Amino acid sequence: MMILIAINATYFFATLFLDPRSNYRDLRPTRSDEEIGDALALYGLDPRMPAVDRWWSWLSDVILRFDWGHSPTGVPVGSEIPHRALLSGQLILAGVVLSVILGVALGVYTASRQYGIADRVLQTLSVLLYNMPVVVSALGLILLAVWFNQKLGQTVLSVAGAGTPGGVAGGFWPVLLDRANHLVLPTINLTLLGSAGWHLTQRSLLLDNINADYVRTARATGLTRTQAIRRHALRSSTIPTATSIAFTIPAVFTGAVITESVFGWEGMGRYFIQTIIRNDVHGVVAVAAFGAAATAAGAIFADIATAILDPRVRVN
Amino acid sequence: MAETRVSKYIEPPHLRLSRNRLYRRRFARNRGAMIGLMLLGFLVIYATLGGLLTPWHWSDQDFLALTERPSGRHLMGTNQGGGDVLAQTVVGLRRSLMIGLSVSCMTTLISAMVGAFAAYFGGWIERLALALIHFLLIVPSFLVLALVSNRVGGDWLVLVFALALFGWMIAARGVWSMSTSLRERDYILAAEFMGVPKWRIVLRHILPHLSSLLVVNFSLGVTAAVLAETSLSFLGFGVKPPDVSLGSMLADGAGVISSASWLFAFPAAFLLLFTMSMTLIADGVRDALDPVSAEASRR
Repeated sequence: MMILIAINATYFFATLFLDPRSNYRDLRPTRSDEEIGDALALYGLDPRMPAVDRWWSWLSDVILRFDWGHSPTGVPVGSEIPHRALLSGQLILAGVVLSVILGVALGVYTASRQYGIADRVLQTLSVLLYNMPVVVSALGLILLAVWFNQKLGQTVLSVAGAGTPGGVAGGFWPVLLDRANHLVLPTINLTLLGSAGWHLTQRSLLLDNINADYVRTARATGLTRTQAIRRHALRSSTIPTATSIAFTIPAVFTGAVITESVFGWEGMGRYFIQTIIRNDVHGVVAVAAFGAAATAAGAIFADIATAILDPRVRVN
Repeated sequence: MAETRVSKYIEPPHLRLSRNRLYRRRFARNRGAMIGLMLLGFLVIYATLGGLLTPWHWSDQDFLALTERPSGRHLMGTNQGGGDVLAQTVVGLRRSLMIGLSVSCMTTLISAMVGAFAAYFGGWIERLALALIHFLLIVPSFLVLALVSNRVGGDWLVLVFALALFGWMIAARGVWSMSTSLRERDYILAAEFMGVPKWRIVLRHILPHLSSLLVVNFSLGVTAAVLAETSLSFLGFGVKPPDVSLGSMLADGAGVISSASWLFAFPAAFLLLFTMSMTLIADGVRDALDPVSAEASRR
């Protein structure tokens, strides 16, 4: 519900700040405002029409025919979205899932070895990563990969694009391998940055629980320390982590935008930048809708995870 | 609070610590916090006086040295247009410091006001404030920021206001939930029965109680604002050429990262030092003001 309001609010923000007419202004022969308006009217972007009417015709198209409209130069938005959404979707999904797994694992590992050397080293590393801007880490990874490739004398890790330009010969498996290879670095980037936050929160959550009475009781029944942590403390301490997954999705989306632009992926992030530069109102709204859909998916995911972990939550 | 009890009965009065001196002493004993403070001091000095290290002005172009490695002539090398990287980091860091501090001042003020007033007044004011917070949280703020800053064409003052407008919600929720637990405390009720006006109760009794939260929010807000500004400028939306910020310098370095890594390394290092110092200071302040909760949450 709130998501629908937010998408429609984005439509008005976009109409307010973007001027589709400027796409036609520099064209030769020069056109009058009238002619530009007529050209834009085809795509429902005519500035002479009240914004509310434009919004209404756009909204009814979306709802009735799932038609997300056209860019000011006439490219249908719907034709750009599917493959881009797939690319960004897999990046975001992999980033979220892997960073939660890695972060929780690190948190559990360091919490059960509090103040050990591993704990201190990983803690410092996570604080450092937590403060690292996405841009810096992405560029740093590229620098590292280039150096690595030069050492080995061949391209082991690809630093640009979502696949080798022109495609790879040899059927399904080489193509899959090529895709996976290009996915490695961007995913590592999102995973490392995301996992730092999960590590720090999970560590403190587990430490709150590790000395609780019920864990001591579990140990008194004859479980080893590891077993007691794994079976009893871990479960209750991951509940807050699970519920907060949904709130990190917008940040991951922003991170994905930057990661895509650094690694040269033609995903939603690139589209986001292009649509704003090209004054493409409908494209901007489609990007917002994609972000909102990702957030909603994250919220559902978080609910399911909470229901599994927390015995007090019962699914009806 | 064993410490105050002991000092009341045993120590002579002149050895008793006032609360502020106690906080200051705890802060000064925290190694991480002192490192953070020194880092911040160094960065502030660098941003104000760093220009003296180089004869070049940040907008000068040295056409005899395009994309040169660091050398005696240019201590941190030059970029594609012959601009001196050292002079540019000074200006870029200054811009980032100003944006971070001013945005965070605004967001802390807005979040404290909205959160505390909403919690204390309750009723429709509270519902309205919470609805506004939820709405702004859901609006894709990064996208709207990009739209706004793209339209105004790189004016960093507008960017500051836009960042502040979309940056206060999470902090306001924190203030709100802390304030709701204060609403029924005895000293608040006492003030109420004495006829203190409601707005004054909020300003005099609720907000001072939350000072540790506000200080922590402030330093985390600086980091968040700087990171947002950097990302926007990197994508080409925030601070735009000819103006420089650390983000736009990173964008310069991104294309030539394997051949001219110094264009990336220096702005990245300053950025990281800045965000690290703010986090260390935030941790130190939290531990100094509230050692009990620090032990509960971090140890």
